[in-house]
Amino acid sequence: MSKTMAKPAAVRTLNLVQAVNEALDLAMGADERVMILGEDVGRNGGVFRATDGLWKKYGDDRVVDTPLAEIGIMGSAIGLAVNGMRPVAEIQFDGFMPSVFDQVVCHLGRIRSRSRGQLSVPLVLRAPHGGLIHAPEHHSESPEAYFCHTPGIKVVIPSTPYDAKGLLLAAIEDPDPVVFFEPKLLYRSATGEVPSGRYTVPLGKARLVQEGTDLTIVTWGAMTVTCQKAAEKLKAEDGASVEILDLRTLTPLDLDAVLASTGKTGRVVIAHEAPNTGSWAAELSALIAERNLLRLLAPIQRVGGWDVRMPLFRLEQYYIPDADRVVMAARKALRF
Amino acid sequence: MPLKTVATLEVQRLEILSPDGTVDEKLLPKVSNDLLLEMYRLMFQIRAFDERAIMLQRQGRLGTYPMITGQEATQCVPPLLLRKTDWCVPTYRGGGVYFARGMQMRYALLYWAGDDRGTHFPDGNKDMMFSIPVGTHLTQVAGLAWGEKFKGKGGVAVTYCGDGTSSKGDLHEALTFAGQFKLPVIYVIENNGWAISVPRRRQAASQTLAQKAWGYGVKGLQVDGNDALAVYKAMSEAVSRARKGEGPTLLECETYRMSHHTTADDATRYRDAKEVEAWKKRDPIARLKLFLEKRKLWDAKKEKALAAETVKWIDGEIRAYEETPAPNPLNMFADNYDRAPWHLVEQRMELEELLKFKGGAKILMELPPTEGRFP
Repeated sequence: MSKTMAKPAAVRTLNLVQAVNEALDLAMGADERVMILGEDVGRNGGVFRATDGLWKKYGDDRVVDTPLAEIGIMGSAIGLAVNGMRPVAEIQFDGFMPSVFDQVVCHLGRIRSRSRGQLSVPLVLRAPHGGLIHAPEHHSESPEAYFCHTPGIKVVIPSTPYDAKGLLLAAIEDPDPVVFFEPKLLYRSATGEVPSGRYTVPLGKARLVQEGTDLTIVTWGAMTVTCQKAAEKLKAEDGASVEILDLRTLTPLDLDAVLASTGKTGRVVIAHEAPNTGSWAAELSALIAERNLLRLLAPIQRVGGWDVRMPLFRLEQYYIPDADRVVMAARKALRF
Repeated sequence: MPLKTVATLEVQRLEILSPDGTVDEKLLPKVSNDLLLEMYRLMFQIRAFDERAIMLQRQGRLGTYPMITGQEATQCVPPLLLRKTDWCVPTYRGGGVYFARGMQMRYALLYWAGDDRGTHFPDGNKDMMFSIPVGTHLTQVAGLAWGEKFKGKGGVAVTYCGDGTSSKGDLHEALTFAGQFKLPVIYVIENNGWAISVPRRRQAASQTLAQKAWGYGVKGLQVDGNDALAVYKAMSEAVSRARKGEGPTLLECETYRMSHHTTADDATRYRDAKEVEAWKKRDPIARLKLFLEKRKLWDAKKEKALAAETVKWIDGEIRAYEETPAPNPLNMFADNYDRAPWHLVEQRMELEELLKFKGGAKILMELPPTEGRFP
C-alpha cells in the first residue's frame, strides 16, 4: 500500500476544546512554520487545555510559554508573521484583550495596505469568548465588535466542534490576520461528530442551523445554542417556524445568506452576548434595513447584553440574553 | 577615548529574621511589642481565613478563589505603616492587604461568590479595587500619588503587583512617571515565584526584579518577603521617604505561592512538589512565631486562645456572607452614570418585563430591594 494514500477519516465525538486542540495539532504537524505563543499554553496546556499535549509533542520552541505581557505576545506575533512564521497567539481571556488594541488597531490590519501589498500578517489570535461559566470579573466578555470595526482583519467564532476544527485550520492557512473567538461555555458542553483528518470550513460562510419560514434568528457563538432552545419554545407554544443562521465568520460577513434568509421570512431577531450599542448586531441591523427594507414585515429586533458592564456572575444570567429574552423579541416581531 | 563607567547598579537584599529564628540585631527595626503581636494576629487569621475560603469553594459555597497562603507577611505588614487616608491598592490575591486595612472579610467572600456588593471598603479608607487585567492599575496609582503630591499633606500611595505582572509594559510606564515626577508612591512586587504555570525565571532575564527600579530613577530593594520584620523595615523606610517628598520606591518582596494559582488551577501539572516543600521551611508565620516566643511575647496558651477567637471570627464572617440576601437583578443598572441616560432607563424597564415574563406580575414585589443609585 502506498504511504501517500490517505486513510479514511474516522469520525469521533469530540467537544469543542478537543476540536480546537486537534486543529492546532494537525496544523503544527503539517507546517513547521506554525507555532503557538501565549500565557500558560505550554507545560500547563492552556487554562482551558486547548493546547494540552502540544508542548510535549512539538517542544519549547514551537509551543511557547511567554512572559505575562499581552502587548508582547501580540506585537511579537505580528513580527513573527511578517517574517514568515505562522504564529497562533493566545490571549488567555477575552477581558485581557483590550491591552492588545494598540497593536491590533494601529498595525495588525494595516500592514498589508501600508506596505502596498509587500508585507502580510498571516497570524491567528485565539481567545475564549463570552460568559455563563461563573468566572471572575473580566473573564466573561464579548469584545467582537471592537475587532469587527477594525479594517484588515477577519473575525471568526464557531459554535460546534466540527466548525471549530475546520474554521481554525482555515484561519491558520488564511493569508490575512484572523481573530478567532472560542465560546468558553461550549468548550465542554458542545459535543459533536468530528472527522479525524484535515478539512477546512471556509471563512466568510454562515451555517444554516435550521430552516424555517416565519422568522429568522441571526446569531453567533454560544448564543446559537440559546436560540435553538428559543426556537423549540416558539414552535411548541406559538406554532412558529424559525430559521436560525449561525454566522460563524463575523467579518467578512456572509451577507448573501443573511439577506436571503431575512428576505424570505421578513421577520428578524439578532441575538448576541455583547451590549447592543455599537455592536455587530447594530451593523447587521443596518445592512438588513438598507438592503431588505421592502421585504421586512416587522421592525428588526436586537437582543444583546445591557449597556452596562458585565456584572459579577451572580447576575450574569440576567445580563446575557437567555431563551426567554429571544422568545420575547421573536414574539414582538411575529405579532407586529 | 577609553570606555567610562557612567552608571553602576548595586542591588541589596534585606533579611532580618532567618527561618531558624535568629535575628540580625543591627538591622532590627524599632517595633513595639503590641505591633509585633498585631502583625502575628493578622497573618495567623488571614491564613485561617484562606483555608476556610478554599473549603467553601470545594463545597460549592464560593466561586473561583485565589489563595493567599505563604504571602501573609508581604500582604499584612505594609498596611500597618499606612494611614487610613493613604491610598492602598492590592492585587486580586491581596485579601491579606484588605484585611490589614480593616476590611470585613464577609465582603471578600461575597466578591468571590460573584456578588458585586463584595466591593465594600471601610469608611474613610482610601482603598481602590484591584485589577484583574493585571498591572493596569499601576499607572493609576502613580496618578493617585501625584494627587497626594498636589495636596501637599504627606499622603502616599502604595500598590502591589506580581512577578508576572512585572513583565507588562504598565510597570515600565508607571515607574517612568513615578521617577520623573518624584511621586510619593511605593510599588511592592509580590514575587511569589509563579504566574499561574510560568516560573519567575521565565518572566525576565534580569537577575532581580528590584533592579528594574534603576532604569527609571526609582529606589529599588529586594526584600525577604517571608520575613515580617524585613518587610516592615523596608516599607517603613519607603513610606518615610515618600512622605518627605524624597521620591518613589520599588520593593521586590520574595515570597512563595504555596498553593494553586486559584481553585480553578492544578499546580501539580507544572510545579515540582520538592520546591513547595523547601518553601515550607521559610514559612512567614512560623518564623515570626519563633521570634515572638524567644522574646517571651508568645506561648502555646496565647496561640490556643487566638485560634479559638479566629474560628469564632471566621464563622461569623461566613454566616454574614451566607445570610446576605440574593442581589436584585436590577442592581446592575445602578451607579453606571451620575445620571442614568435614556437607554439605561429603557433597558431597566426591559429587564423588569423579562422578570415578569419569568416570574409573573408579582415578581417585582417579591424581589429583595434594589441597591445603589439609579437617578
